[in-house]
Amino acid sequence: MGILEINGLCKRFGSKEVLKGLDMDVPENSIFGFVGQNGAGKTTTMKIILGLLKPDSGSVTVCGEKVSYGETRTNRHIGFLPDVPEFYGYMTPMEYLCLCGEITGLSRSRTRSRSEELLELVGLKNEKKKIGGFSRGMKQRLGIAQALLNEPKILICDEPTSALDPIGRKEILDILLAAKGKTTILFSTHILSDVERICDHIAVLHGGRLALCGTLSEIKERHRYNGFAIEFGDAETASLFESIEELKLPSISISREGNTVTVLMGDRSMDGSFLLDVLSRRRIVPLRFTVMEPTLESLFMEAVQ
Amino acid sequence: MNGYLAFLKKEISEYAKTYKLFIMLVLFAVLGIANPLVAKLTPDILKSLATDGVTIAIPEPTDYDAWKQFFKNATQVGLVVMAILSSGVMSSELTKGTLINLLTKGLSRSVVILSKYTCMVLVWTVSVALCFGLTYGYTSYLFPESKASNLLFSVFCLWLFGLFLQAAIMVSSVLANTGSGCLLITGAIVAACMLVNMIPAAQKYNPISLAAQSTALITNAAQPSSLSGAIPVSCLLSLFFVLLSVMIFRKKQL
Repeated sequence: MGILEINGLCKRFGSKEVLKGLDMDVPENSIFGFVGQNGAGKTTTMKIILGLLKPDSGSVTVCGEKVSYGETRTNRHIGFLPDVPEFYGYMTPMEYLCLCGEITGLSRSRTRSRSEELLELVGLKNEKKKIGGFSRGMKQRLGIAQALLNEPKILICDEPTSALDPIGRKEILDILLAAKGKTTILFSTHILSDVERICDHIAVLHGGRLALCGTLSEIKERHRYNGFAIEFGDAETASLFESIEELKLPSISISREGNTVTVLMGDRSMDGSFLLDVLSRRRIVPLRFTVMEPTLESLFMEAVQ
Repeated sequence: MNGYLAFLKKEISEYAKTYKLFIMLVLFAVLGIANPLVAKLTPDILKSLATDGVTIAIPEPTDYDAWKQFFKNATQVGLVVMAILSSGVMSSELTKGTLINLLTKGLSRSVVILSKYTCMVLVWTVSVALCFGLTYGYTSYLFPESKASNLLFSVFCLWLFGLFLQAAIMVSSVLANTGSGCLLITGAIVAACMLVNMIPAAQKYNPISLAAQSTALITNAAQPSSLSGAIPVSCLLSLFFVLLSVMIFRKKQL
């Protein structure tokens, strides 16, 4: 049984059906990457988990307690980092964390020590400025600090890295990695390299349901041999290969970079021998023929096709 | 309870740090000082305007005039400024999303409404008290002979009307998502009260009488008993508006 369970969740906005019976199970102490295209329903799912939105049907259970809309009881187990965290601009980070501490019911001394610890962790310890003058990255870091304040069992982060520069992104990911083991992290994003860097579980949301779900290594094992990189001696042969009729199938996606053509095959019944056949029929000898380890990108593309 | 006090503290410090409290206090202080002064000086100003051959007969000003000024300014400028300052009470937090963090920290939605309303009431109470105190002090200094009657009762009515208006602002701001929308709905509620006032039988129970009758009360043209219906009705309506705000806000998708 997971620390967070979602069963048959449905949600529509007007005529747009965003979630169509989503089932998801987040195991304890995992870093769970929640991936999907823009508008796939990641934020909606998170807001339902937090009781901020009302699901049309289905249920969410946090630490064994059912979430009911409009109530905030189950939120005491959760720390939430919104995609664009907003704070009261007239407060300093310390004042803000003290307010949060008082609201969650932490004692004054505990709030103080915990805030100092967290501000140290996110690198805002010596920041005496008011939040109003903060950059986006600084707000994001303060957002993590406030989310971790009450030592939540689950930390939910909504696209924490999507608007940050590479350094800011690395910092945020490092902070999240540092929290691993102490808390379960549900982390939504559409930056696949971030998922690869820190997550051990992944779920791909597509069409209102999970298109893919499991541990990263499990999924990669399950989807081996679906991609091939073929390098040719010259550009001419490469473009000749690229335009071969047999490869123009909906399940095959071809991309080219220099003299290397990458073929991703969505159809599990096809494998490398099909490509070798094509090559030998055309009498093309490639410089190199490599079976690709499935990348997260290829898995994602396959899942959302 | 924890959440209530913490959030109330935050609200009060927000009023102070965003200069709303400052504006209210300065405005009501200025009004408080100006009321008796205007009453005292108006005849002199008019006299100085009179040219030869024209005589303007002006009765000697009394403390009535000072208190008339007080109630006129407080119900017009005072209430309008208060309404404008509080119109963003929910919308600023909802559009910016500052409330999300705190709600996901376990702050209950009812507490948000109740502590916000408490803060508005506190600010209004302090402002009215300040204005009343200053007007009272100055009036007794400039017009030693005091004639006004039912003073405390009239001020109480004005204060109560403020509470009613703030409850209306609260429910409007939960309904509308913008500050202007909130003012629009509040305006509609006040306009509805004014329309109802056209029915003579309803006047006795109409909250708006609380603000409209003050001049009549101090000059003894009306008795406190004439508001015996309006006071409980205003209290009940205020309570109803606040509870309604809580109910709507609990069902609001954020």
